[in-house]
Amino acid sequence: MQILKVTDMTKDFGGLRAVDNLSLSIEKGQILGLIGPNGAGKSTAFNCIAGVFAPTTGTIAFAGEKINGKKPWDLCKSGLARTFQIVKPFATKSVLYNVTVGSFISTNNRNLAEEKALKVLEELSFADKKDVRAGNLTIADRKRLEIARALATGPQLLLLDEVMAGLRPSEVDEMVAIIKHLRDTGVTIFVIEHIMRAIMALSDRIVVIQFGKKIAEGTPDQIASDENVIKAYLGEDYAVS
Amino acid sequence: MLYIVEDSINGILMGSIYGLTALGLTIIFGVLKVINFAHGSLLMVGMYAAYWAVTLTGVNPYLSLVIVVPVMFFFGYYLQDIVIKPIFKAEKNVREPITVIIVTTGIWYILDNLTLLIFGPQYRNLPDNPLRGKMLELGDMFISVPKLFGFITAVVTVAGIYWFFQKTRTGRAIRATSLDREAASLMGINQYKIYNVAFGIGTATAGIAAVTLVPFNNVFPTVGVLFDIKGFIIVVLGGLGSIPGALIGGIIVGLIESVGPEFMTATWTEAIVYGLFLVVLFVKPSGLFGMKYDW
Amino acid sequence: MNRSQINTAAFAGLLLVAFGVPLVVRSATYLHILVLLYFYAYLTTSWNLVGGFAGVLPLGHAAFVGIGAYTSTILSLQYGISPWLGMLVGGVLATIVGVVIGLPTLKMRGAYFALATIAFAEGLRVIVENIDYLGPFNLNGPRGLQIPPMDNGFANFMFAGKEPYYYIILILLIGVLALTWLISRSKLGYYLNAGGEEPEAAMALGVNVARAKLVAMAMSSFLTALAGTFYAQFTLYIHPKSIISLDLSFEIAFIALIGGRGSIAGPVLGALLLRPVSDFSRIYFGDTLPGMHLIIFGAVLILVMLFQPRGLQEPLTRAYHGLLDRWAKESPDAAANGHSGSQGGAAHADS
Repeated sequence: MQILKVTDMTKDFGGLRAVDNLSLSIEKGQILGLIGPNGAGKSTAFNCIAGVFAPTTGTIAFAGEKINGKKPWDLCKSGLARTFQIVKPFATKSVLYNVTVGSFISTNNRNLAEEKALKVLEELSFADKKDVRAGNLTIADRKRLEIARALATGPQLLLLDEVMAGLRPSEVDEMVAIIKHLRDTGVTIFVIEHIMRAIMALSDRIVVIQFGKKIAEGTPDQIASDENVIKAYLGEDYAVS
Repeated sequence: MLYIVEDSINGILMGSIYGLTALGLTIIFGVLKVINFAHGSLLMVGMYAAYWAVTLTGVNPYLSLVIVVPVMFFFGYYLQDIVIKPIFKAEKNVREPITVIIVTTGIWYILDNLTLLIFGPQYRNLPDNPLRGKMLELGDMFISVPKLFGFITAVVTVAGIYWFFQKTRTGRAIRATSLDREAASLMGINQYKIYNVAFGIGTATAGIAAVTLVPFNNVFPTVGVLFDIKGFIIVVLGGLGSIPGALIGGIIVGLIESVGPEFMTATWTEAIVYGLFLVVLFVKPSGLFGMKYDW
Repeated sequence: MNRSQINTAAFAGLLLVAFGVPLVVRSATYLHILVLLYFYAYLTTSWNLVGGFAGVLPLGHAAFVGIGAYTSTILSLQYGISPWLGMLVGGVLATIVGVVIGLPTLKMRGAYFALATIAFAEGLRVIVENIDYLGPFNLNGPRGLQIPPMDNGFANFMFAGKEPYYYIILILLIGVLALTWLISRSKLGYYLNAGGEEPEAAMALGVNVARAKLVAMAMSSFLTALAGTFYAQFTLYIHPKSIISLDLSFEIAFIALIGGRGSIAGPVLGALLLRPVSDFSRIYFGDTLPGMHLIIFGAVLILVMLFQPRGLQEPLTRAYHGLLDRWAKESPDAAANGHSGSQGGAAHADS
């Protein structure tokens, strides 16, 4: 079933059209990647889906329900979680505290919430750092924390915003493994990424946008050889055909 | 009917002086993005400076500007440099520097009570100054002369400050810093020096306002408190960071205060001013001319 | 003994001392000073729910003190209603007002919220100071309201000696501290912390930040108003300049800030440190150096903000934990017990 369905979504900022009639959908249990050159409108589309702002026109449907303009916290309660490109840990608190904030979504009891949080940390092989002050973590660990927090809210759909940015190649591989594992536990994942090897390795399907419009869609192999995609990234001279 | 016109005129005159007192507040906010809670106390310091300058030298109050303005400028400059800058540096990445607000509140308390300690609680004024009690007769209306002088000073100062920010190099540097401090510093502008200068200018304008007030307003340690609160109201009304806004906001308050008592008690007039303030905060926090912020 | 055992013992000891004081200290003057000390500690701890946990800067809390005091006093004087009932009514009224003010302002930037609270408190004071009657209620303007002596006893909230007042405010203080501790460990506490540190991240994790802050505001207003009634019954005279004053609002905020807002012990520590300073400087310098204690407050505030922005509770708590560790180590079964108790540094102040 289609857990996320975006239909003809447009977002205007005054005179600037950042997203232009974008349509995409994700099947439950899939990993969908969104790529495009800088300024293509990926973040805007992402933020519309995540409830940061409402689209100008078009519909966004999550698990069959229209979610245009719903507030981020309501979206989270419905099962849609997101991470931030520039990580925002609660720096003065411990890793466990950070994740517990997320797990409180389904309970009022602190002990239960902490238990759930610990389970999430264990799943991400992060439990050994549970008492570390979030502000003292390395960037790779902060990204992991970001995911752990979002995961603690028990999402059906997880939106990952350039989660690989700033990571070393070995760390990227680790992150890919984590995300794949998450998918295996039943979470549907929507990734925006610039690091090609990550998105090619992760995605079941990829959508490519440029100037706010979708220019290609397909499996990683199809995308890698798509003429429009190559033109968009490398310019006219490199088009094969 | 005549009274209303007379009240209105006096209200506009007094209002412009209010605007002048609030001018420094809006400049400091515009540049440092900080609401200087000590602004009223700085005004008070200026009033004492003017008072003593006149009492010791016997000159016309407006001549004391020569002393008061530079003194106030450097007072503000170093206050920012020594006390507030360290907090700024510590809070560089925090979204809103609340600690700075707290520190300026501390400065308010210290200044007011230090003044109380040194000069005592008595009300002072300048009974012999050439402007005191003078009235200008306009037909059947009486216009307060010291307030008229104040009005002229206010308009000239506001125009001058506006010109300074638009046309001079330092002024443009200050505007650049206020718009985007990182970009400005990449252009070679020393951000902290700019803050010092802006704070100095803000304090200096408070000094000018103090000089216009001294001929007719009593001078005492807590005189700044009322102007402080009115200053906030004016600056929110007119729009934080807007220079013409401060003047207009001041005139609005001045008008309410002088015309209001024709229709209701003075208390309710005051309550209306506070009420208007709250309404503006709720409805259009950026005020009449202020910059849009993400709330 | 292990660490947490020592900690509990220390607290028990402290409670014992606090409850035992009136048995030893007989001087009415000193009891009076202690009552006021606890009163301020209560006020700052209640303030802390908004000013510390919710992360905003309310500078008009005296308004709620005034609402509490005036409500219970008017109900008692004009309608013969027991001050205890009046206390609750005052609390509810203050909560309503707090929520109404908080709804639009808590979403704003910190400075605007601070200004709004000042404007509201001053506006209230101006109104109360200048009107005699609000509908059927007699406010008596600037002269204030005096509570005539009634039969002593619990029902009238009136007692001859200071001791009963001492115990009442002590219990209130313990209550509000316990409440604060519970909140810090609860969902609301976590949400407030998160919303204060990174509101966008918190919202993406399901936290309705504005609503959490509003809840904190409601609680804080309610609790603060209760203290207003206490004050009225203790001093038997309230008037706008003293009870809805900007000075009181600022003093509450300053003490909490110096002690350490956001922590549980901070506000109380602040009161413990600063109130004696205030009292002594008023007694010894009152005539020769008026306003000295306010200068000291201001200076201490600035110094603390410069060097210990999380308040004096931070070095003090660290020293305390250090002591706990040392004592626990010296005890025979230290090796067997290892570490227990609070997590290192990061999350909460347990004491």
